[in-house]
Amino acid sequence: MTRGEWRNLRIGLGFSSLWIVGLGVFTLYPVAASLFYSFCDYSILQRPVWAGMENFSTMLGDDVFWISLKNTLIFAGFSVPMGLAVSLSLALLLNHEVRGRAVYRTIFYLPSIVPIVASSMLWMWIFNGQYGVLNWVIGPLFRLWGDSPPAWLGDPAWSKPALILMSLWGVGNSTIIYLAGLQDVPKEYYESASIDGASSWQRLRYITIPMISPVIYFNLIMGIIGSLQVFTQVFVMTGGTDGAPARSTLFYALYLFSTAFYDLRMGYASAMAWVLFLLIAGLTWIATRAARRRIHYSG
Amino acid sequence: MRKLSPAGRFAVYTGLGLGTILFAFPLAWMLLTSVKPIEQTMVYPPQWLPVAYTVVWDGEPVEVTRDERIEVPSVLVERTSGNRVGERTLMAVERYDPGDPAYRLICRAEPGSWLVTERTGTLARSKGTRQEVVSDEEIRTRLKFRWDNFPKALETMGGRSLEEVEGSIRPSSAMTRPVTFWTFLGNTTIVCVLGVLGTVLSNALIAYGFARVRWRGRDLFFGLTLATMMIPFPVLMVPLYGVFKSLGWIGTLFPLWVPSFFGSAFNIFLMRQFFRTIPEELSEAARIDGCSEWRIFWRIILPLSRPVLAVAALFHFLYAWNDFLGPLLYLTRKETFTLALALQSYQSQHGGVQWNYLMAASTLTVIPIIILFFFAQKTFIQGIATTGTKG
Amino acid sequence: MRALASTLLLQTTRDRSTSGRRLIIGLFILLAGLFVSACRPDQPADGRVRIVYWEKWTGTEGAAVQEVVDRFNSLQDRIYVEYLAVSQVDRKTIVATAGGDPPDVAGIWAAQVATFADNNALTPLEDFIEADGTSVDEFLSRYMPVYADMCLFDGRVFALPSTPATIALHWNKTLFREAGLDPERPPRTLAELDEYARRLTKRDPDTGEITQIGFLPQEPGWWPWAFFGWFGGSLFDEEGEVSIGSDPHNLTAMEWVRSYTEEYGLDDITRFTSGFGGFASPQFGFFSRRVAMVFQGVWFDNYMSQFSPGLDYGAAPWPEAGGGTTEGPFAIADADILIIPRGTSHPKEAWEFVKYLNSVNPKAETKAELGGMELLCLLQAKNSPMHDWSPYFLRAHPHPYIGVFRELASSPGVVHLPMVGIWQEYDREITTMFDRIRLLDTTPNAGLAYTHTRITGTWNRHRKSMQRQRSAAAKAARKLPGTDRSKPNPSQIE
Repeated sequence: MTRGEWRNLRIGLGFSSLWIVGLGVFTLYPVAASLFYSFCDYSILQRPVWAGMENFSTMLGDDVFWISLKNTLIFAGFSVPMGLAVSLSLALLLNHEVRGRAVYRTIFYLPSIVPIVASSMLWMWIFNGQYGVLNWVIGPLFRLWGDSPPAWLGDPAWSKPALILMSLWGVGNSTIIYLAGLQDVPKEYYESASIDGASSWQRLRYITIPMISPVIYFNLIMGIIGSLQVFTQVFVMTGGTDGAPARSTLFYALYLFSTAFYDLRMGYASAMAWVLFLLIAGLTWIATRAARRRIHYSG
Repeated sequence: MRKLSPAGRFAVYTGLGLGTILFAFPLAWMLLTSVKPIEQTMVYPPQWLPVAYTVVWDGEPVEVTRDERIEVPSVLVERTSGNRVGERTLMAVERYDPGDPAYRLICRAEPGSWLVTERTGTLARSKGTRQEVVSDEEIRTRLKFRWDNFPKALETMGGRSLEEVEGSIRPSSAMTRPVTFWTFLGNTTIVCVLGVLGTVLSNALIAYGFARVRWRGRDLFFGLTLATMMIPFPVLMVPLYGVFKSLGWIGTLFPLWVPSFFGSAFNIFLMRQFFRTIPEELSEAARIDGCSEWRIFWRIILPLSRPVLAVAALFHFLYAWNDFLGPLLYLTRKETFTLALALQSYQSQHGGVQWNYLMAASTLTVIPIIILFFFAQKTFIQGIATTGTKG
Repeated sequence: MRALASTLLLQTTRDRSTSGRRLIIGLFILLAGLFVSACRPDQPADGRVRIVYWEKWTGTEGAAVQEVVDRFNSLQDRIYVEYLAVSQVDRKTIVATAGGDPPDVAGIWAAQVATFADNNALTPLEDFIEADGTSVDEFLSRYMPVYADMCLFDGRVFALPSTPATIALHWNKTLFREAGLDPERPPRTLAELDEYARRLTKRDPDTGEITQIGFLPQEPGWWPWAFFGWFGGSLFDEEGEVSIGSDPHNLTAMEWVRSYTEEYGLDDITRFTSGFGGFASPQFGFFSRRVAMVFQGVWFDNYMSQFSPGLDYGAAPWPEAGGGTTEGPFAIADADILIIPRGTSHPKEAWEFVKYLNSVNPKAETKAELGGMELLCLLQAKNSPMHDWSPYFLRAHPHPYIGVFRELASSPGVVHLPMVGIWQEYDREITTMFDRIRLLDTTPNAGLAYTHTRITGTWNRHRKSMQRQRSAAAKAARKLPGTDRSKPNPSQIE
């Protein structure tokens, strides 16, 4: 290396010094350590003891593990596409010259910055089987069928739908992103399409969606990664890590947390964490491959 | 934007209107619940607005709660002996035996009248609260917002029991430093402000190194940085906990803000993107003048980067304010709790959930964010748009 | 470009040289101030050793603890106890202990002693007891056997009771009278319980919905494990193996649970119970006079006077269902216990406080003469776990049926939960299975078999893990010269 290159290297490393420490201490070391722990019995109050593949074989036979995985995948499988649909629809609505657009935008965005703990409490209250306002609103619909409105968080069949519904309230963030993407679409495309006689639906399908496909892809990836790790809402709304009622809301991150910090089985929890990592990586890779053909990058 | 047909306009306005109702209602409901007395939250069908019922007893207006609407002819009786002497209860007329010495007849209760109790403010009744049967006409109803729920929620959030706050139990030992909402607010502010400071300073520094200095291995290192964004937190959680434990930081606020002084992949990425848009010629010119890289960074680049710094600061503030898992993991003593953790622990505290106080406390954790939003709207929207479209 | 750069430099230099410096100074001050405030609170100025005590209770029970703590603080001047009411105290304690910042004394439940001990989270107490000049056996002989047993695990004393509990059958005398039953005669056998339940159940004549129910196994649903022992079944057999699926009495118990749902209707029950409120509220099933008979603990009277004053009730032993022994009826006992977590800064002072809470003056004639244990039990209206009760305690006790609870606690047939490291998982499995059976989601046979397989796997894994830990500890102990090899010293595992 030349003298100039040496100098630049020192400067570059100097600027990055904080990150070198941060990366090493707060990221790389934990990654390596948790990989090691995943092969051990570790309770943090005692030294880790090598246990080979036992954590992983226990996992395969652990019903609760599979339940938590299933619950999480069901949740993600519904909330990500539904969230996408809702936020895109809202963005499309906002993408018109309407009066008070900023007000609407605020109303849609605000719920997504409300502290999750507060909104979880609020929705717990709204979903209350006895006094909840939601059941009062939709009760008549159920009574038409001779039924009664569900007990939501108290009913194993309705607890996940409740959480999925609540996740839709927080799509404000994605909506704004879509809106920005929509506004980047050149107007000429739409104008020439209308001249050619395209309907709104055709405009949507052949111009809008392809043009914002990178944004959709980004939100999809973010959505997958986020929904597979959801923790706070479930912890607050079901009062802990039991996934009540009847483990219907025992999500992966919840089970991981309780295994690590309440059962003090940190080796097992680390093994679970790595499985999650591989799962996320796998899903992201699949999504990227599937999207590669469909994403249209302009310019 | 294309011109909309009348049908199109109608559709859009309807959609927006429906969306507004669905999205705005929950927050409004949270506010409404916060200003109700507890017994008016636990009614079905839901009561929209909080009211106060008053009855005139002994010439004085007394606020009461309507316990029960009497449906069948009944009597109000009072126990005369035993453990529960003096306590009153309703009994259906057929069940009442006038000769039973255990009960003393107070009055008859006709269908349509109400059993009312003097308001004490808690669910638990103490001996001596007055309970009577009154007719519908005797009850005066008027709208009353219970703004005092807010100070009460503030006080009980710290763990002082409801009974203490209501005054029916004497306060606990004075030696302990009282933990209140303001403590939690203070802790949360410390974590947020220090975190923002760390985020802005460290990431700007680091991103500068990646964006404006050419050095061997830079791009590889940056690629590694990006890769770490993929790592889910649970993978890091346990060893990180161990690291903080060895440092003796568990139970303090340090784990919540110190790491922000050492960079974060996302912010490095964000700032690097921005720095690359600043013309290289500016730096070149300064270098020719003999400026060190540090001076170029501090005096030229940083001042020009206010937009991205504002976005990073805002995002981190939001993240730190809302963070629940971090405090849950690292904080053990109530004096150190942040608002998010205190709110959740408040919920699990009491036997019966005090929805009105809970909603009041929740409202108080939400308001600062809403205020922040209104002051920094443009930065918010701009920032999110940038991350999404350039991601 | 050069001009622009120079201008920028100059401008920023002019504006920012002093402000930059001020900023840095301000930052230092801010950081210094925050360091100070974020530090842990220090000892009070009067020179006392300050210890932290975490307890689970709120409301009147919390006020009772506060009174006892105040008295301890006033009786001596070396130690100051700071009492904190903490929700989910067991989880918070284990997390705090794992993090190296535990409270000095924590009040958890007997169900957790084994797990905490297995995880090396507790400071054993025998050394403290012996240092005071008593043998462990002598010390524990003051307690009724069932409570002394709950303090022991693996042959060591890891906990002592704070307050005990016994569970009995409570019934609503008024509802009995209305149903034509003798209000002074509770059901004495299982058949009578079922029969009374039937007669005490009322339905709305128009809709057929249940408006009042005699008995429901899931009210309150806190001890489903008790049903097995009640029927003469068992959770572990004599060899220490899991027996939930192999003991035939367990099947009878679960079939009985299911029979209630089948008789009264699943939807009816669900609709009926969805209107119930939490325990500390007037909407609790028994308090709102919608459930006529319920198994509840000695604390129940206290809560009743707060949330449903005027309720005329009685307390009785568990009806005969196959469990218990010939010398005494079946009942379950539980205890709130005190532990000293590992890693506290003041274990000796913590022990002084624990000792005080376990002290009793068998001759006390006034409230001031009461020892810590009876004072707390009196204030919380619970029975005392000691054999001997002082005259004042008996005289002044607010609970009208405390005699029933004393009898049950000292009965030879009384049992407590199994003290094993996997108890929490076992209990969770049992509760899940109980819910599924009563919701008709699985048959008793299938449910029991499933639980048996799962828990056997858990139990085997746990024992293997403990074995590994022990050999690792023994290996570590061997490496250091001069260590006692007979008992692996837990502190060296750190």
